Amino acid sequence: MAEVPHVEGRFAYEGLDRVIHERARLSVLTSLITNPKGLAFGDLKQLCDLTDGNLNRHLKVLEEAGMVEIVKTTDRNRPLTTCRITGSGRARYLEYLATLEQVVKDAAKAAEGSGVKHRLAPSRV
Amino acid sequence: MNDLNKALGDISSIRRQVAHATEFRGYGPATLAGTGLLALAAACAQAVYVPDAANHIAEYLTIWIVTAAVSAALIGIEMYARTRRMHTGMADEMIRMAVEQFLPSVGVGGLVTYVLLRFVPGTQWMLPGMWQVIFSLGVFASCRFLPRATLAAGVWYLLTGLSSLALGDNRALSPWGMGVSYGAGQMLVAGILLFAMREGRNDG
Repeated sequence: MAEVPHVEGRFAYEGLDRVIHERARLSVLTSLITNPKGLAFGDLKQLCDLTDGNLNRHLKVLEEAGMVEIVKTTDRNRPLTTCRITGSGRARYLEYLATLEQVVKDAAKAAEGSGVKHRLAPSRV
Repeated sequence: MNDLNKALGDISSIRRQVAHATEFRGYGPATLAGTGLLALAAACAQAVYVPDAANHIAEYLTIWIVTAAVSAALIGIEMYARTRRMHTGMADEMIRMAVEQFLPSVGVGGLVTYVLLRFVPGTQWMLPGMWQVIFSLGVFASCRFLPRATLAAGVWYLLTGLSSLALGDNRALSPWGMGVSYGAGQMLVAGILLFAMREGRNDG
């Protein structure tokens, strides 16, 4: 068996934020970070392929974590809900992305070392 | 490509998309203002050492190419440091994007200079005007990821370039043709970025 260097916390991946590490919320944040001016609730729902109830639930979690802000206005007398990523949400998302990249790089290195072609399970994301 | 490499590719693609939706903050106002002063200093040097630029085109080119190279080096060094500080997590992506936007105009400027000097005798007076017009295209290309007002700097370089070409003779090689254009232009960009930075800070 190959010798593994024991560096404390080497694979702790502290940056994998629990709030973000959920498929729907990752999807919501990715949509919002690539549209910094914000997205209407309906557009966000379509982009993430979520139901009204599901999207509301995940937005509430993200809002409570200070990662998104939800602005309710009216457009031609019709209610309009716009969701935007906050500065803190953006910073946490980018940190998450860097950690995720590290996880995949570590896995790729391990796969290379073992000489086995690893395949990830099919993903819906 | 295996799935792990595909996942890495997807992460890079997300980072690229984020970079495309982000205002670039790698240009420092102080350094840009410094390059403006450098352009004015180069104009003074030309006025003293190469007053008759039409008959000393090599010396004229040396002054302005060295000025451009020093300015690019200063901006590049600061851009590297600022981007690492201000765009944590996607600094490389932001730098690549900024360079991609501006590099074509630098390349075109170099090639136009070579072709005019090598193959079209008597057209050296066109150089400063061409440089300014091509530089304005670089500024316009970068505008999308900079504060909207940067467009004014692009317009400034375009107008000074066209005015220089409109002179139609060796008067275009006057030291102040380049000095005023780049001196004021770089100060204008620096002022716009400084104002945008303060606005951003006020907005929280």
